[in-house]
Amino acid sequence: MKYLIGYLAIGVLTLVAMLISHLKQEKPKFRFRSELMESIYPERKKWWYRLLDKIVAPVLAGAAVIAVWPIAIFMAVKERFFRKEPEPVPAPKEFSVTRDDLLQQTTIEEIEQRERVIDPMGAVPDLPFGHLNAAWLQFKGHVEPQDSIWTFSSNWTTDWGRREIRAGYVILHGDSLGPHFLTTWKALDED
Amino acid sequence: MTAQIGERLHYEGRETSMCSEPLGDYFAFAGIQSGFGFNCTALWRGYVGTWEIRDGRLYLIGLAGTLKDGAEANVATFFPNYPDRVFAHWYSGKLRVPQGKLLEYVHMGYGSTYERDLVISIEKGVVTETVVQQHGTANNADAPEGYGIGAMTVFPRKPPGSENEL
Repeated sequence: MKYLIGYLAIGVLTLVAMLISHLKQEKPKFRFRSELMESIYPERKKWWYRLLDKIVAPVLAGAAVIAVWPIAIFMAVKERFFRKEPEPVPAPKEFSVTRDDLLQQTTIEEIEQRERVIDPMGAVPDLPFGHLNAAWLQFKGHVEPQDSIWTFSSNWTTDWGRREIRAGYVILHGDSLGPHFLTTWKALDED
Repeated sequence: MTAQIGERLHYEGRETSMCSEPLGDYFAFAGIQSGFGFNCTALWRGYVGTWEIRDGRLYLIGLAGTLKDGAEANVATFFPNYPDRVFAHWYSGKLRVPQGKLLEYVHMGYGSTYERDLVISIEKGVVTETVVQQHGTANNADAPEGYGIGAMTVFPRKPPGSENEL
């Protein structure tokens, strides 16, 4: 009997140590976390969920630590000294035009003629690319005398697996591709 | 991600919700940050645009949202010379307009399914095709009619510079 009492006493000490460690641990501050979770899972707002979450689950966890404290200590040591750092999240791949996407060489004059936007209600400026004229002018500012401009169309798959078609104009600086100007960005799956 | 509040669409004399965001393409093509703040899990984009299809063309006719600096945004914020009506010539894609009763509620994005989807194909701001897709008939006569969301969380607005900004 005294061995059992001793075993459980060590379990209680282990639980107390783990509680102190838990309370001293710096927690990430994400102020909207609970609100977000409650929005996604509305049952989290109900009294029975709060009872389970705030009282029943912690009490059961504490009892488990007392009962099988060697495992709890093993897990705590493993977590503290042998934890693997999480893999860094790779940056999303950035869209770029390749030589295979090039369709046809064109000129600024041809583009500006082709891309004028007319609206019967006058809800767009009569300029190349209409409401996107400022972006066009910015793109045009990158063109140097020896450059050429090409139309392009690219099939692109995002990190989320969405298949898209992106098209527009791109600057060719000698052998290398420069900035591009998008005019089409559509999901292929829609079709 | 919570179910998202739709954009408003005036179409054939009716106002309805649509599950497409043509203004997002404008921000992408123009290479500008929208600059909207957000305080609601059902509106991560931070604004609601009002659109109209008139004479087969798509127009932006209203915009409501709050910018990071706390200023209220409207159409003139992004189109100063066109405060009442903007031809959405930049948009090519499909507008999804859910119709009828709710068949299945999905609390994520625009994932819910309704009895019908009106799908309006747009090419450079001009309507090219309109199709109605049938998805079924609701068994429950009390099922909600038209697009809506089931829940959201609204956060108190924070002063400019705090973290609830896009």
